[in-house]
Amino acid sequence: MTRYILRRIFMMIPVMLGVTLLVFFIISLTPGDAASMILGQEATEESIQELREEMGLNDPTAVQYVRYMGGLFQGDMGRSYATGKTVSSEIAQRFPNTFVLTVSAIFLSVLISIPIGVVSATKQYSIFDNVGMIIALVGISMPSFWTGLLLIIAFSLTLGWFPSGGMEGFISLILPAFTLAIASTASITRTTRSSMLEVIRQDYINTAKAKGVSKNVVIRKHALKNALIPAITVIGLEFGILLGGAVLTETVFSWPGIGRLMVESIQRKDTPMVLGSVIVFALAFSVVNLIIDILYAFIDPRIKSNYS
Amino acid sequence: MSDKLLKIEDLVVHYITDDGVVEAVNGVNIGVDRGKTLGLVGETGAGKTTTALSIMRLIPHPPGKIVSGSIELEGTDLLSLKESRLEKIRGDVVSMIFQDPMTALNPVITVGDQIAEAIMIHQKVGQSKAAQKAREMLEIVGIPGNRAGEYPHQFSGGMKQRVVIAIALSCNPKLLIADEPTTALDVTIQAQVLELMKNLKDKFQMGMVLITHDLGVVAEVCDDVAIMYAGRIVEQGTLEEVFNTVKHPYTEGLFNSIPNIDDRRDKLKPIRGLMSDPYNLPKGCSFYDRCDYAMPVCETQKPPKIHFGETHFVECHLYQEQQDFKLNGGKE
Repeated sequence: MTRYILRRIFMMIPVMLGVTLLVFFIISLTPGDAASMILGQEATEESIQELREEMGLNDPTAVQYVRYMGGLFQGDMGRSYATGKTVSSEIAQRFPNTFVLTVSAIFLSVLISIPIGVVSATKQYSIFDNVGMIIALVGISMPSFWTGLLLIIAFSLTLGWFPSGGMEGFISLILPAFTLAIASTASITRTTRSSMLEVIRQDYINTAKAKGVSKNVVIRKHALKNALIPAITVIGLEFGILLGGAVLTETVFSWPGIGRLMVESIQRKDTPMVLGSVIVFALAFSVVNLIIDILYAFIDPRIKSNYS
Repeated sequence: MSDKLLKIEDLVVHYITDDGVVEAVNGVNIGVDRGKTLGLVGETGAGKTTTALSIMRLIPHPPGKIVSGSIELEGTDLLSLKESRLEKIRGDVVSMIFQDPMTALNPVITVGDQIAEAIMIHQKVGQSKAAQKAREMLEIVGIPGNRAGEYPHQFSGGMKQRVVIAIALSCNPKLLIADEPTTALDVTIQAQVLELMKNLKDKFQMGMVLITHDLGVVAEVCDDVAIMYAGRIVEQGTLEEVFNTVKHPYTEGLFNSIPNIDDRRDKLKPIRGLMSDPYNLPKGCSFYDRCDYAMPVCETQKPPKIHFGETHFVECHLYQEQQDFKLNGGKE
């Protein structure tokens, strides 16, 4: 088991390298010049050139990349061009907010979607199933920034129940968490339903029934554990989508997380900040998938035995 | 007290689908005496498994529906029972072994727990007691008890079927339904599993319904034989009666489909054609278009039930006029 986990951790290294490489070169291709942005419109050509030289912006991109990675391995993510603070301190300040938001969103959607998916499957083609699946389809189809705006209009502007943005206590978490959760709830529900439908047609479900196991226990004990394997995969993938969605949702709700930080940094062409945020996103996504893979092994003994 | 353990009368089961109604079982009458084994023989799609699932009341619904008839187990009408009562009977009084051992066990639960589950439900014992009984059951079917903590994927096909048998027998059922228990296994393993089932049947004094399409298996294990075709029992009798005095052309066809080891020049004579479309069964005898003895009356009228002695009967027009009609053994 330890070997399995170590192997999965080891596999994260090339992923992270690839991510930094891609992002670094894509940013270098975008137009605009960090030095002139820092110095403002009043700056002379001379002072800009001087700063470019000082920041190493005149070196070839590859050299800049190697220099950046050298720093990164020592834990130095550079300083923000815009604020002058270190990237790591800025991220350390913002990351917990994004973490709270996405984790509550994923909890919310798992809490809603698994029971609905299971009931939909056991009562296939019932009214509950049909209505549930239509709602799920609508949920999948709505982009999160739009959902967010609708929720703001309904619950903060019209009803005044929740604040429309900012981060003041638990109450301001509810709308953005719901916004994020809606799309992933929809797809986790559908996956749970379809894998559950497949599982309850399996022979071993009949074996269990033939033993005299009651209907509810068959579903809870025999079917759900098997059906969770595909559902968990989707939960992991949804987490990635959630992080992407956080970029938009945080902007809509002025939530001071990494997503918003990234959007602002892109606008300012604040390369170290953008890189830092992307790396944290990629790392978070990899860690979640690592956790998913470990969970697999606990649910499915066939996977576990491959590595023990 | 009657010796009948299981009595099925005029059982009719339909599958109602978007494409029409599949008449899977059309008036089946069978009975199993205490401690005896009935072989239910027929080709794929004859309605054998549907009949078996009806006894367990496990017909998937929808689309399946028990339209009419009665199924009595020790005098209790199973068809009128509520689900909660059925759960008490399943696994305790009547158990079932499914066809494919590779898929019949839950892959994420240890085999020990899968056996113990039935024991805990029906015998109201605690976890450790049930686990101990589960290990004993494993030993009985020839698997070391210390493998109880392993998962199904760690067992071979034959071993898995032994586990399935252990589950089915864990609460000493009075009736065991075995749905082609050896079909998915290697020939050598088949013999072992059959031998095991035969011994256990005697040991536990069970009645058994053995579903198979293998007449060799029937000869080995069964006391009575029912030949099933297109949802009806076309011939039934004791093993000797059916094997020694074959009456129905379909039964004869089944025997002719077995290779003759003593005379290899002897040609195999398979039954020509395919089973009638269950969406649209013929008006007369279902076997009409495949039968070498077909007469005009067979096309239009359902064959009558004709008895030969107390236990042996056949559903065929051939014997209506002359009771002593002899099949010609399929020779031209």
